[in-house]
Amino acid sequence: MTQTDKDVIIIGGGPAGLAAAVKLHELGVRDILILEREHALGGILRQCIHDGFGLTRFSQTLTGPEYAQRFIDAAAEQGIAYMLDTTVLRMSAAHAVTAASRKGLHRFNARAIILAMGCRERTRGALSIPGARPTGIYTAGVAQSYINLQNTMVGKNAVILGSGDIGMIMARRLTLEGARVSAVFELQPYPSGLPRNVEQCLYDYDIPLYLRHTVTNILGDARLQAVEVSEVGEDLRPLPGTQRLYPCDTLILSVGLIPENELALDAGVLLDAHTGGAVVDESYQTTVPGIFAAGNVLHVHDLVDFVSLEAERMAEAVKRYLAGEQAKPAIAVSAGRDVAYALPQHISGARDALLTFRPRRPLRDATLRVLQDGQAILTKRFPRMLPAQMEQALLPAAALKSHNPVEVVIGDA
Amino acid sequence: MLKLYTCILCPNGCEIRAEVGEDGQPAAIAGHRCPRGEAYVRQEICAPLRNIASSVLVEGGELPLCSVRLTSPIPKARIFDMMRLIHAARVPAPVELGQVLIPNALGLGCDVIATRNVGEG
Amino acid sequence: MPQAPERFDALIIGGGVIGCAVARELSRYRLRIGVLEKQPDICCETSARNSAVLHAGYNNEPGSRMAALCVAGNRGFDALAQELDIPYKRTGKLVVGFTEEDREALAAMKQAGTRSGVPGLELVSKAFIREKAPYVGGEFALWSGSTAILNPFRLVFALAENASVNGVQFFFNSEVTGISQAEGLYHVQTAAGAYAARWVINCAGLFSDAIAAMLGLRDYAVYPCRGEYFVLDKRIGHLLPLPVYPVPNYKTGGLGIHLTPTMEGNILVGPSTEYIGARGDYAATRRVMDTLLQEGARIFPHLQKEYFIRNFAGIRPKLTPQGVGGYHDFVMERRGNAIHLIGIESPGLTAAVPIAHEVIRLLQEAEPLREKPAFNPRSKRFCTFADKPAQEQAELIRQNPDYGEIICRCETITKAEVLAAMRGPLGASTITGVKYRCRAMMGRCQGGYCQTRIARLLQQEKGIPCDQLLYGRAGSNLFTGSVREP
Repeated sequence: MTQTDKDVIIIGGGPAGLAAAVKLHELGVRDILILEREHALGGILRQCIHDGFGLTRFSQTLTGPEYAQRFIDAAAEQGIAYMLDTTVLRMSAAHAVTAASRKGLHRFNARAIILAMGCRERTRGALSIPGARPTGIYTAGVAQSYINLQNTMVGKNAVILGSGDIGMIMARRLTLEGARVSAVFELQPYPSGLPRNVEQCLYDYDIPLYLRHTVTNILGDARLQAVEVSEVGEDLRPLPGTQRLYPCDTLILSVGLIPENELALDAGVLLDAHTGGAVVDESYQTTVPGIFAAGNVLHVHDLVDFVSLEAERMAEAVKRYLAGEQAKPAIAVSAGRDVAYALPQHISGARDALLTFRPRRPLRDATLRVLQDGQAILTKRFPRMLPAQMEQALLPAAALKSHNPVEVVIGDA
Repeated sequence: MLKLYTCILCPNGCEIRAEVGEDGQPAAIAGHRCPRGEAYVRQEICAPLRNIASSVLVEGGELPLCSVRLTSPIPKARIFDMMRLIHAARVPAPVELGQVLIPNALGLGCDVIATRNVGEG
Repeated sequence: MPQAPERFDALIIGGGVIGCAVARELSRYRLRIGVLEKQPDICCETSARNSAVLHAGYNNEPGSRMAALCVAGNRGFDALAQELDIPYKRTGKLVVGFTEEDREALAAMKQAGTRSGVPGLELVSKAFIREKAPYVGGEFALWSGSTAILNPFRLVFALAENASVNGVQFFFNSEVTGISQAEGLYHVQTAAGAYAARWVINCAGLFSDAIAAMLGLRDYAVYPCRGEYFVLDKRIGHLLPLPVYPVPNYKTGGLGIHLTPTMEGNILVGPSTEYIGARGDYAATRRVMDTLLQEGARIFPHLQKEYFIRNFAGIRPKLTPQGVGGYHDFVMERRGNAIHLIGIESPGLTAAVPIAHEVIRLLQEAEPLREKPAFNPRSKRFCTFADKPAQEQAELIRQNPDYGEIICRCETITKAEVLAAMRGPLGASTITGVKYRCRAMMGRCQGGYCQTRIARLLQQEKGIPCDQLLYGRAGSNLFTGSVREP
């Protein structure tokens, strides 16, 4: 087993890991190593061949592979070290990282660790959808990998459960490749993906989106034959008597993403029950000193541009940590009325903090308020807020009145 | 007549309202957060344009497919014609990001270009 | 001219645990043996869909075959597991009670078990429960020290692989469609060809009554009784060190909804008991799912939906219809040169090898069997990576770099193990086959990360065209074709 000391170990060479590495290098941190389990850098962007990335980060619309390549090229230019086909097996609170590759078992001792493992998809099993167990049921990302990377077509007649962005993008992708997509069903009364994807992936191709609907039964012996879909009530439970059968050979699930934090748990990192990601401060430092997290492993983003930006901000904090900056006594940040979650979960008060949050429901003319000691210390207006869309607001350190907890709330007009 | 549009040019997805006159020309446009939104709706009213992304078969590559896109959007009505063209295309490895795989596709003035590198397999 | 059918001394119908155990035990003798399996692989039905428990034998009527063979199976398992490299663990088991009625039932179970020769039964207090399983409910319990948990897939594959090594031939996609008799031979028609044999051994599980009927035995009807399960995330596996059962209501046809740790650290919750119409109907229902959650939480209060990673169902081939419930004894009958094993439900997994010994005894009643000196009783599983200490892991990678390539992230299954699952005479050719042999895709992401890799490896390793790759059973094609025709 090899033993190596590193300033920074980055677990995951997707958009978050790459952006963090490139930024760290720019800041003068050179002893960096990216550990990537796949055969290539780029992460999930490798299979996201659609366009729409990069407008925020590069002021240009790019496809996923093109967006990833910009960072891969930058990392190559800087000579940043990375290991491919290398899977991290274990990680400890003392910053020992054990990874396996064809070359052997590697042990790294890092001054700082960056978690950039991304997320995984929620499956049928986690949802407990009743019914038969035929083949033909794919999570959207798996179907995307089969179609875009492996040149295998998953089906001819599909139904999509969940209006997450990948689900809608796969509806369009399947249609372009000659499959029929009869409908997209969404449990909530609003789409879980971005409005522009409803428009350009569904409506452009006459694919209907049914809100407040879910799959209540699956039929088929060896291969899927049909799904039974029901309307749901206010409590999101199926309404009896509303069942309809949709014949199909393929069911695509786009029902949520879960930050992949098993390694973080190993190291004793505290997770947030709502985000599924680590509890962090404004430096993106987790509850284990020297372990940082950014991107989808921290909270599921709707846009890769924000992943890169978040990772770059984190890189600056990692640089400060390496220079000896200590985490300060914390002010708790909680998600209040109509806020699904707010990051970071605590702040030092020593520097400005970028608050990232999502609303619990769609809102118009909404006002974000950050409350401390019963007063609004920050107010920001939003013409529209959607659960599908992450929002941000800068909380200046100077606005803080005390070290008492702050609460993030949203009020509509 | 009042028409509603969701702008697809950026993730904001602005809801834009357009008053369209009897001549089919927009009279008033509102709701966009940037000028691109207004241009998008004007285009949408007269001749909607879309970009598409897909894959082209690679011969002798480390991967079976190379992802592609168009260099500029095409009329919405021509999407499936374009897909047929992409479907029939083949390219020998290696392929480089940005490489033109089908020049002036369908005579529409746009190229089909590779969006990734594919090395020889 | 039609080709003469391939001729065997014995044809075994059914490649579940019973068929494979019979095949393995019969391969000790100088016999030409074939196994006919209708699915593309062995271990596709009930043998793969159960609680994975090595039972002690106190649930069955003293004096019955079920009780005797279960006790024998439990007693002989240490030796079998050593010969065939089967992971198992003698965890012991608790049957927990809450009411006075339960207390009486547990005392009766202990008495029945003792009469059947079950060792290590004890009525225990709440304090004992707390010590053995601190997160489990119950006021008192029956402790069964000999109960174990095991890897049921490995049991079946080990039996089959060992049978194969000793000369048994396996024929897949070979559903038996008819059997006739002529010139002292059974002529067996299958979906994939015709075979002839002096002996036929009916190990067809859910369809054992149908095979019996083909041979003129119409005395038995199999009543399929479905049991649904949930699989829980390993994250809470440490909260349940051993199987915990409620006091059974035998009338239902099952042992009640219980919780069982798996060898790898998941927890199974189930099974329900629901008599159904169709024998292949593995569907889950919302109503039963809700019941599992509710009843499971009674004995394991930590049970929560957020820990569910999968659900599945198995079907018991019962000989007692709905309303009667309980257990009909295993049917093991010789009619001419046909031996019928009918209604082999729980504890069939435990009793499989003793059942096979009974088959040999029945065969020997009709003809002497000559032992094969070259019989090799041993089977070795490929070396697993996840459970090894770091130094051993490093050494494994040094010897075979495929051990350094992690295919299944959740369960840490390497390419070496995935390839081993595909290789050999009985190597997997389906996704499920790979899963059952090496555990890849059984973790919390359910193949989200590795299924695409395994599909690609199967196509490469086995030369399967993409439109013919199966998930599991016949017709379960994963792909409709290529996106771009090469």
